[in-house]
Amino acid sequence: MRISLQPAYLLHRKPFRDSSQLLEVLTAEHGRISLVAKGVRRKARGGNTSALVQPFSPLLVSFSGRGEMKTLTHAELAGAPWMLRGERLFSGLYLNELMIRLLQRYDPHPMVFARYGETLAALASSAAAEPILRRFEMHLLEELGYRLSLEVEADTGEALDPNAWYRLDPDAGLVACAGTIPEIQRYQGSDLLAIAKDDIQGSSATTAKRLLRQALAVHLGDAPLRSRSLFRQYANAGDRQTPTQDESSL
Amino acid sequence: MKFSPALESLIEALRCLPGVGPRSAQRMSLHLLERDREGAETLAQSLTEAVEKIGHCSRCRNFAEETLCEICADPRRDRSTVCVVESPADVLALEQSASYRGVYFVLMGHLSPIDGIGPDDIGLDVFQRQVTDGEVKEVILATNPTVEGEATAYFLTDMLAGTGISLTRIAHGVPLGGELEYVDGSTLAHALSGRVPVDAQR
Ligand SMILES: [Zn+2]
Repeated sequence: MRISLQPAYLLHRKPFRDSSQLLEVLTAEHGRISLVAKGVRRKARGGNTSALVQPFSPLLVSFSGRGEMKTLTHAELAGAPWMLRGERLFSGLYLNELMIRLLQRYDPHPMVFARYGETLAALASSAAAEPILRRFEMHLLEELGYRLSLEVEADTGEALDPNAWYRLDPDAGLVACAGTIPEIQRYQGSDLLAIAKDDIQGSSATTAKRLLRQALAVHLGDAPLRSRSLFRQYANAGDRQTPTQDESSL
Repeated sequence: MKFSPALESLIEALRCLPGVGPRSAQRMSLHLLERDREGAETLAQSLTEAVEKIGHCSRCRNFAEETLCEICADPRRDRSTVCVVESPADVLALEQSASYRGVYFVLMGHLSPIDGIGPDDIGLDVFQRQVTDGEVKEVILATNPTVEGEATAYFLTDMLAGTGISLTRIAHGVPLGGELEYVDGSTLAHALSGRVPVDAQR
């Protein structure tokens, strides 16, 4: 198999045998794949592919090989790298961890690829980060076949009541519940309806974060997302003394 | 052909070196045994000695044979300035530039959530206690211009915010003597995004 100039993003890299690297790459048409980049840790003659192949840089990669692991034969920039700064960089690392944890290898998701690029662009802008991340998470769930239906009750098909409480049944969706169950397990109807209308701010942003965390947890299994705890440590790094609430955007 | 057990295990042992595959390990082993037994003896001794004696400096985490490394123990070094780097090789590179008189803090890595490497794994908890002791006035962030290196620098920036310590990040970009035409796109993008007012350069 020989693939030429495939649009891609680097998700992660690690040293691999001698002087090579193992790249985890999200491609437009082939999904998430592993590529061996040979000899990149030696001082490359002429062009330095290693410096070029960085996360958040739109790339064109060529690769070949028969097995699970292909060999990178060529890489070039397809556009300007998205410059993610400060908090946004940690959000980007979170996206990459999500991709690695949730996408199966060689499972093509061209829509996820497109949205991933758009999400990086949005994170590189000055727009609020939380709605950007929530939209991506919802899109990802939908693409994986687990669309969150936020307008109707899962069991009855009735429209959500803004004044009622709902809980998330991971297999079915939102079902009505009593206002007496623990607060962490229930969501306000008005917030859910706001999220459905893409109005993610204030209380609906907090609800969206909780809801998506719960929805993603089912697919992430037991191991926690490392980038999420790192982000929280980052947000609290300045004042480790004060016990902080969970105010991060992840 | 099969080698004797001791030779087999020597070949296998040499393969722990970066860039050494089975063929080169075999060549090295045969060379040592056939032509340079004395060299082999010295190598074996030096290895044992190095592994036994070399630990980490209690202050900067760089390799050291005493509690403090040579740089930290040197009274002529300026302890009010600390340069944070990812690896001992970076210290060596900066020392060769001969333009730095402060001390270092060696992370022995960088933040990498996907690999499970968090702040405490690279000694940031230790560093935070050190710099807030009062002696340090300036911290220079010299982590690599990679995504992980940048994330580490941002983390440190946030960690030290409000301590009154002056924080700087070394500039990354177009190499000295380089022509723009031949500089790769991502380096140029980095250089562009890190541009400084012309006045500030003086
Ligand atoms: Zn030291």
